[in-house]
Amino acid sequence: MKYCVETFDLTKNYGDFAAVDTLKMKINNKSIFGFLGPNGAGKTTTIKMLTCLSLPTTGTATVAGNDILKNPNEVRQKIGMIPQMVSLYGDLTVKENIQLCGDFYGVPRDLRDSRADELMEMVDIKYAENKPVSQLSGGMKQKASVVASLIHQPDILFLDEPTIGLDPTTKRVLWDMVEELNSEGRSIILCSHDMYEVELLCDDVGIINRGVLAAFDTPQGLKDTMINERKSEKTSRSSNITKIVEEIQKEASPEENTSFNKIKDYVEKKNRDSMELSIMISNLDEKIVNHLEKLPITYKITKQHSGRIVIEMEDSEESVTQIISSIIEKNGNITSISTKDPSLEDVFVRVTAKKEKVGEE
Amino acid sequence: MVETKKMMWMFKKDIMVLWRHKPRLIALILFPIIMITLFGYGMGGTLTNIPVVVVSQSNGPVTDATLNAIKSTSLYDVVNIINDPNKGKQMVMDGQAKAAIILPTNYDDMQSQTPKNVIIDADSSDQMATGALIPTTQALFSQISNQLGIQELQSMGLSSSVAQSSQIQVQSQTSSQLLSSPAATASGGINFQNIVNSINFQINKLYGNISYIDFLVPGLAMVVLFSCMFGMGESIAGERERGELARLFMTPTSITTIVGGKILSKLTIETGRAVILIVVAIILFGIVIAGSMLLTLLLLVLVALCFVGFGIMISARVSTQEDYMQMVQPITLPMMFMSGVFYPVETMPWIFQKIAYILPLTYANDALRAVMLKGVGIGAIWVDVVVLLGFTALFFGLGVRGFNRDV
Repeated sequence: MKYCVETFDLTKNYGDFAAVDTLKMKINNKSIFGFLGPNGAGKTTTIKMLTCLSLPTTGTATVAGNDILKNPNEVRQKIGMIPQMVSLYGDLTVKENIQLCGDFYGVPRDLRDSRADELMEMVDIKYAENKPVSQLSGGMKQKASVVASLIHQPDILFLDEPTIGLDPTTKRVLWDMVEELNSEGRSIILCSHDMYEVELLCDDVGIINRGVLAAFDTPQGLKDTMINERKSEKTSRSSNITKIVEEIQKEASPEENTSFNKIKDYVEKKNRDSMELSIMISNLDEKIVNHLEKLPITYKITKQHSGRIVIEMEDSEESVTQIISSIIEKNGNITSISTKDPSLEDVFVRVTAKKEKVGEE
Repeated sequence: MVETKKMMWMFKKDIMVLWRHKPRLIALILFPIIMITLFGYGMGGTLTNIPVVVVSQSNGPVTDATLNAIKSTSLYDVVNIINDPNKGKQMVMDGQAKAAIILPTNYDDMQSQTPKNVIIDADSSDQMATGALIPTTQALFSQISNQLGIQELQSMGLSSSVAQSSQIQVQSQTSSQLLSSPAATASGGINFQNIVNSINFQINKLYGNISYIDFLVPGLAMVVLFSCMFGMGESIAGERERGELARLFMTPTSITTIVGGKILSKLTIETGRAVILIVVAIILFGIVIAGSMLLTLLLLVLVALCFVGFGIMISARVSTQEDYMQMVQPITLPMMFMSGVFYPVETMPWIFQKIAYILPLTYANDALRAVMLKGVGIGAIWVDVVVLLGFTALFFGLGVRGFNRDV
């Protein structure tokens, strides 16, 4: 099986509103897939349909090789889900909740109990097995939910905002667990607004917006696409400027033409080979900024708060060395330095904003 | 210190929320309308139109006058006038009438010295109806008896003034007071007692002397079972609201199984509660179950099943507990008052009587009282049982069919 999930024009309408609109998506088997989207984009509705908690209006999907409409019980047997919309019984203990889930999935009693012990040990909740779930903290409830969702050893695990409201330590425990489950051969579908989490864990990322799949690639692939798009936009802008300058040059004097040629070269070079460097200087002053601005490799300097400057400059290793040397020369104390590549968050904002504009049109 | 602006915001917010939950809003408005209509028209406190059968075994002016008097009394609704006392009694036992008023064969014989024995065969299992019927009927025949006595005195040639004096007093006093009146003693030598008390009134309680607590317990058991419908809101709508049901819906489990489990637990709890009530009533108040204990228990289970089904039908599609409660309230409380638990169905206006016969509680109440108070067997309540089974099947069918797996 190549894909753990494949959707075929999956659609869910609420009245006239299409929460999910003819969604076509293929999720690689045994991968960790990050399913992103702004609030109300259709993520949860899609997950509900894939987990057989809601019927599609039209279209269908296969999950673990089974059609969600034709074989919902086979789908249910092969998936597990961790909140946000699914809860354990607050008045039952952790162990009782797990036993209940095991029995509902038809796991034999001995196997159920041994797996429950093993999973509780894994997520470190064994010590609270006899506590009512209502008395547990958010993190412990989440751990208990993980155990209940894994008791039948599902092939695919859906996680809907699994780390929301959790402390950093518990988050890391869950992340480790997700990676471990994936290394055991399970496919993971992770819905999250935490871009760091998605970037850290996911092999592939899909961004849904207004019910349609707006982007789908690896995290790096999405970022590269964004870099390329930016470059392409810059090249297009540069070409427009060059055309304008050439039009003006037709009526200009030879002296003026020399200046215009310099402008053309500058624009072309800047748009062809520019990069952004973010530097934190603890004793940043005007003297250093002025000095950097005068360098021929520098296009633009933007001052930010707490001594950080973002330099738009020529894209070369020599240029970076020259910038650092110039700062040190002016007694600048560099505390951090990083290139300013787009993050997954930048990709998310760009993809969803782009679609919004299309929608507005 | 009260901050008016914020307080008004809270008020406004609650009104807005209510306005946006249309089923809740409609139910909220309907509830007081139903209740006031019900109590205003149906249960004003005075019982009227209690169905009675009159057994008339003689013909003549006295019988005619008596029948007219009975018919013109608003308490009675004469369902039939027959001449067979056994048939009259049977009609009461079959539930067609709450009492049979049996006029004797010598009722019209003014010459007869034998007392006229008027018998009332009353359905003592219905305390409300019997409690109203017996004193009213007794007073009616006492008055008839007095009037007959006066006519007798007049026919014996006593002065019209004595007769008139007697008549005035008959209208305002009881017969025992009349006997000691000066007018009566002034006419020396005549036995006024025999003349004035020409009718003997005999009360025959068909199911013996049933105490109020005996009468109350089946009704209370019904109320206990009935209240399980409120619990169904928490059980299904609440679990749905908290996302607990979603966990079960994610497993390869049919809705019928999940609903079946819910039924089983509710059935056990609610039947258990009703049994506890009856056992405590037996221990503390010595109530007597006239019929079979097993049949009583089976009826409790059936009634609980029916109400649990009703709860499931309503909760199948609502998403919050509050919506469930608001929807169920305008149905449950009027049902309790219209089904004969507190007031006899037959005494209600016709429209409420018609409604009562489409309410499962009416049949549940009828069957349970019949078994517990009258001591009847399944043969006498089979119609109730069949109707309850029908309601139960309908509720479960609609509940499972309408059950929304969407979370």
